[in-house]
Amino acid sequence: MSERNRLRSLFTLVWLNGLIPIRTQPLFLVNLLASPLSFLFFITIVSGGRLLAYGITGGMILTMLSVGTGLQSDLTHYRHDLKFQDIVVASPVEAPVYVAGMALSELVYSLPGLAVFVALFVVKGYATVESLAVLTGTLVLVWGFASALAFTLATYFQDVRETFLFSPLISLVLTVLPPVYYPLSVLPGWAQFVAHFSPTTYAAGLVQGAVGLAPLSFVGAAVDWGVLVGFTAGLFLLAALKARWKEP
Amino acid sequence: MTSAVLAQDLRKVYPGSSSGSAALEKLTLEVPTGRVYGLIGRNGAGKTTFVRIAATQLEPTSGELTVLGYDVRREERAIRARIACVPQESRPLYFLNVEEVVYLYLKLRGLDPPEARRRTRDALEELSLTEYRRRMVSRLSGGLRRRTLCAMVLASDADVLFLDEPTTGLDPLARREVWEAIRRASREQRTIILTTHYLDEAEALSTRLALVERGRLMLEGSPAELRARVRYPYRVTVQGSYPREELESYGQVSEIEGGYLVFTREAEARDLAKRALERGLRLSMGPVSLEDIFLDVVGKSIEENSVEEAES
Repeated sequence: MSERNRLRSLFTLVWLNGLIPIRTQPLFLVNLLASPLSFLFFITIVSGGRLLAYGITGGMILTMLSVGTGLQSDLTHYRHDLKFQDIVVASPVEAPVYVAGMALSELVYSLPGLAVFVALFVVKGYATVESLAVLTGTLVLVWGFASALAFTLATYFQDVRETFLFSPLISLVLTVLPPVYYPLSVLPGWAQFVAHFSPTTYAAGLVQGAVGLAPLSFVGAAVDWGVLVGFTAGLFLLAALKARWKEP
Repeated sequence: MTSAVLAQDLRKVYPGSSSGSAALEKLTLEVPTGRVYGLIGRNGAGKTTFVRIAATQLEPTSGELTVLGYDVRREERAIRARIACVPQESRPLYFLNVEEVVYLYLKLRGLDPPEARRRTRDALEELSLTEYRRRMVSRLSGGLRRRTLCAMVLASDADVLFLDEPTTGLDPLARREVWEAIRRASREQRTIILTTHYLDEAEALSTRLALVERGRLMLEGSPAELRARVRYPYRVTVQGSYPREELESYGQVSEIEGGYLVFTREAEARDLAKRALERGLRLSMGPVSLEDIFLDVVGKSIEENSVEEAES
């Protein structure tokens, strides 16, 4: 397949899975907004507005992770219930193009959520060239590893109901338990150690550091970027080696 | 003639199954290019497993399989560029309309938009789907959904098409429209591998047929060759009473409503017809149908298997 055809396939998937479904069900656009906004509301009310900034930065990370859980459900549904993956496998479309197209299409659903959080980010005065660059880079990496993980898991699930089981667990392990909605420093020592096994700890550390919520040295930022890129590359490698495009 | 699909000692044991329960067992067959090749067999006989391996969706356990000369293990990419598949029990995406299902599939395969549009229009027309082109898949009957999937792959640029039970749920008229589209694709020198439970469909469309039972190839050839290979290639139905012992001297006899069904050879069939007419009985006579062959071969296989199981 030529590069031009790969791009055509990729954007066809974005059109097919990202834009057309909104025509039949516009609620898809607000679906990914629900959980992060709930957290923001809860945190802001409970803290009397003191932790609003954490609600905004955490909300953006959660929105990107939700892209992964949505992707996981769609891929599993398409594979088992519709046999769409089998149709695509028996075609010139390669697995990375399929995953990238589907992951980009899920990003469409996250746009309203991101728009709300970016607007709050700007209104609250956190937007600088540096913080926006860090935010963009971090969110791209979170989207990347969440998509790679979603694809790998989706090729193992035997039924779409399994995704209902795993999605909340993934959210719990990657969003609620690690310091995405609060500073790492509030955790006891052993919990801080455990939190470092989650890539979202590094993503949150970078974003919180960029907006001045937590101190972050140059070396600390470099380590966070390195680990986050490493996690993402590792999950891409896992997807390349372990995801089942062709069934065993 | 080059082979479109060539399988040699193909074996498939699904992970978690015991090695004794192979879905395919030393299956060897050759599908010529530019023809319709029918795969028939009972549920679970191994037809879909074969199609999925050839369509590069499933790994074989052992043996060789090439599609248009490319190996399914080492040259998947070359195969995938040349094939299209309607999997068994597949459904089009419910939020698309009929035209989008076909058009977006063609674009997904990398076709230019004008070419994709032209092929979509032609395929919808060919399968009488033009009037439904703007209808959402979620509002289509099961038969129309299946027909839409057929239009999708028939509109593609693929040289080899795998159609796994493509006409399940279609009414007789719609089935014939799909048949005509399949014949047209075959006239364009495309190879169609068709699995079906409708034996009349297999017979009407296929230039060659393979009967698979318990993962093994039981019979292979053109419909005429399959008939020639069975012990009794003629069937005679006799309406009325006739001494059963006399009928049994002609071949295999079974009772049917109001008479007998006799499987026999051509000369014996003529003789039996003559005698039945002399007795003033009504009769019909002709070559065995594919269904008769199927029941004979599969029936024997079931009997043999029961004996083997009882002995072990």
